[in-house]
Amino acid sequence: MCGIAGILFKKPVSNQVLGRALADMMDGCQHRGPDSTGFALYENEVAGLRLRFLVDDDAAVERIRAALAEHGATIKAERREGSTLVVEVAYDGEIRPFAYAMEHAAKLVSIGTALDIIKDVGTSKDLDAVYGIGRINGSHGLGHVRLATESDVKPEAAHPFWATGFADVAIVHNGQITNYWKMRRRLEARGFEFRTDNDSELIAVYIADKMAQGVPLETALEQSVDDLDGTFSFLVSTKDGIGFAKDRLAAKPMVMYEDDSLVAIASEEVSLNRLFPGQPLSTTEPLPGTHQTWSRSI
Amino acid sequence: MVTIDLSTMPVREGNDALRAAAKRGEDIEILNPDARHHIGVGLIHPVTVRVKGSAGYFCAGLSHGARFEVESNVGWGVGDSMYAGSVVVGGNAGAIAGVALRGGEVVVKGNVGSRAGQVMKAGTLLVCGRASFLAGYMMYGGRIVILGDSGDRVGEDMSGGAIYVGGKVQSLGSDAKIVDMTPEEDADIRAFLKTYGVPFDGTFTKIVNAGTKLRYGVNEPISRPLPHPVFSEGDSYWNAKVAEDIHAKSLIGRYRIRGYGAAKPVPHFGDIAIKVDPSRIGAAGDPTKAVKLAMTLGERHGAKPLTLSMPVLIAPMSFGALSKSTKVALAMASRLSGIVENTGEGGMLPEQRKEAAQLIYQCLSGRLGWNIHDMLKADALEIYISQGAKPGLGGQLMAKKVTKELAAIRGIPEGIDLRSPSRHPDIMGADDLVIKVEEFREATGYAKPVSVKMGAGRVRDDIKIAYKDGFDFVQLDGLQGSTGAASTEVLENVGVPTLSALQEALDGLNEIGHDGSMPVVMMGGIKDGVDAVKALALGAGAVAMGTAALIAGGCISCMQCHVGNCVVGIATQDPEHEARYKTELQAQAIHRFLESVRWQIAAITQALGYSDFRQLSRKDLVALTPEAAAITGLPYDPDYRVVDEQLLTQVA
Repeated sequence: MCGIAGILFKKPVSNQVLGRALADMMDGCQHRGPDSTGFALYENEVAGLRLRFLVDDDAAVERIRAALAEHGATIKAERREGSTLVVEVAYDGEIRPFAYAMEHAAKLVSIGTALDIIKDVGTSKDLDAVYGIGRINGSHGLGHVRLATESDVKPEAAHPFWATGFADVAIVHNGQITNYWKMRRRLEARGFEFRTDNDSELIAVYIADKMAQGVPLETALEQSVDDLDGTFSFLVSTKDGIGFAKDRLAAKPMVMYEDDSLVAIASEEVSLNRLFPGQPLSTTEPLPGTHQTWSRSI
Repeated sequence: MVTIDLSTMPVREGNDALRAAAKRGEDIEILNPDARHHIGVGLIHPVTVRVKGSAGYFCAGLSHGARFEVESNVGWGVGDSMYAGSVVVGGNAGAIAGVALRGGEVVVKGNVGSRAGQVMKAGTLLVCGRASFLAGYMMYGGRIVILGDSGDRVGEDMSGGAIYVGGKVQSLGSDAKIVDMTPEEDADIRAFLKTYGVPFDGTFTKIVNAGTKLRYGVNEPISRPLPHPVFSEGDSYWNAKVAEDIHAKSLIGRYRIRGYGAAKPVPHFGDIAIKVDPSRIGAAGDPTKAVKLAMTLGERHGAKPLTLSMPVLIAPMSFGALSKSTKVALAMASRLSGIVENTGEGGMLPEQRKEAAQLIYQCLSGRLGWNIHDMLKADALEIYISQGAKPGLGGQLMAKKVTKELAAIRGIPEGIDLRSPSRHPDIMGADDLVIKVEEFREATGYAKPVSVKMGAGRVRDDIKIAYKDGFDFVQLDGLQGSTGAASTEVLENVGVPTLSALQEALDGLNEIGHDGSMPVVMMGGIKDGVDAVKALALGAGAVAMGTAALIAGGCISCMQCHVGNCVVGIATQDPEHEARYKTELQAQAIHRFLESVRWQIAAITQALGYSDFRQLSRKDLVALTPEAAAITGLPYDPDYRVVDEQLLTQVA
């Protein structure tokens, strides 16, 4: 139960406004979900790997430091922000076992060389005040506002979700996947671990798994429309771009705007219009059962 | 002309200014709309509104007679439930364009999203571009003209009206078919296009209902109805009820339909006792004078609340399921007892409005008889999500009851077996529901409480959604709630018993740290004031009674409500049958019953040593069975059973 949005700046020159743009878009549809807000931001790459954890206390920070050391990751930088701890590390091993091990130390929110997921209880304005969302530069990203229905209002239940075990993949999703357990057991049988019972996490892992096998994002999205049952409109982001898929029942809203410099997609046009106040936009609504992807120019 | 700049004020303020200008007869220009929702909802004056940009959800919704011109796009539900007037959209429209349209014209120059014209009843929806999935879904009347391609499953489960497609018919929906059109029809459409300056020189394909699903194929046999005590006896395998059921199904080969509530025994208020000394009941004077029973309902967001002389409401029941005479009798009784009547599905009757001092107006999925004028006449608005007797399903009204008068009020074809949609066109989730509630508040100037009626399904989650979506109160209906018609499988087997539903609701609210501002009105098998006291002590804010009020007013519990031949004139639309119902007389009988409920609540409250029903609490209750204890968390104490029986005898 939520509102979603995504944006990709096609030209690197417009990188400065990523956080501001997404914060405004989410503020525009906050009525769809007042409980929590979150962002998946693709910033300019860090030298090593960035991990963001949710931490309740100093003990959690100690556990994280110990776990990092145990797995051969060297901390380059570390800072506390809101309910989270951000660490930048030098690590050159395999990502998935490392990510699973870190998950056992504390609640890992995201991992990547470009991706940073920032999510917490509160509104877009609240998060902007605590985490300085509006000052974050980058090329593309996703946003989410949530109305908690089936689980609690706490930071770890906020969205976006990262694809547990995969670096730099995130998802925001509006809808409900009805063959969730069937899909999850298939992936679990192949060794994937899940941190939540949330269907958004499932979609992220499903897509990331396909991409890890060499399937392009576009094809993975196309297959998702066949493989997933239920009602959904979702946006996926990778280090290089974003994409959407929409179910055949067209029960969940999605509107997009595209010009030479950017593509923006949101649950409602009111979010898109926040990027261009006072201007009527030429928008389109993706057709049922369709998907599309965009890559940033490098 | 008045200019309203939405970059300088919220939509609520903008709509106030818009309505004020329209009342003076001035045209309006809206600047910087930036796709905001609810622009122009509830406008009932014939002025022109120019929106300079895009509008959001429900633009021109619930309006009557105004002319809207939107320069760019609109969101979901443009022209929702519009009765007359026009909306011209320069760009695209989102899902459910022209939803529940009851008249007037909606013209979209671009494309429309899915389910365009869902449950529309009259008027014209013109789409100059292409339509999407399920255009004309469950439409009852009117016409949809699509100049581009139709989208998949066009005309799905339409029961009336016509769809004209200028482009490709991508696929036909269930129960839709292609027919030839007359030259007159063709000329009429082209003339319509001309009035809006839309060029088109192609040809049209006409789609209408195929008529395969409008009536059940085989009717149930008319058999001697089993008396409810026999029917509800559930402890032997091959009893009279089972045999009768098998006989009927061997004839019709499908599920059966009946009226009334569930008959299977489930833990109920009889499994809970009140810790009261029966000798104190009725000891000193008139308890209704000594105990404070009056309350208000619906002030959570500053609306004018309902005022109740006691924590009891009349449960929602439709004109349709019930005769007009019965609805009027219920309205009279509610007025005489100082409580509230509810329209149920199918619109507001003028006679009912006149007799009821306070009336809740219900909005259902089919939007049957839902309109701005009656919204403005109502004392509270209620969004029906589902009911206890058949959670997850829409209403059913068999053909016998779908008379000319009734069909006209509801805006549907006469004489069909009406199956209302199982879900609202514009409420696919809690996120959409927020926007819907806001539409109702905007359209009625935030003056009326907005409640939600829900059947007990996922109560613990649903009640949290209701709380967060800002409802003023909730009407929660358990498994034992009755209905005018439902499949027997659903009646008996789907849903959560009233006792469990209430407990789950209260637990759910506690889990999210509610502030007590959203009362739960509990219904579903509440038969007297004793049950009411138990529900109130458990934590309900009030109770509602449907079946009990009908029985008080002459119902003989034959469970044949769906047939339409009710021998006492209650569940019928047949004038001969209805003539047997003596409205004034039965109104007095219902009123007397309600007064007995008042006396019971007051007497027990007083006997417990309280002067206000709000002092009742869980401490006053014990569970008589392990099941009831497990459900409610009340202490298990079967020793109170005797006391409870005495109490019932004395009070009754």
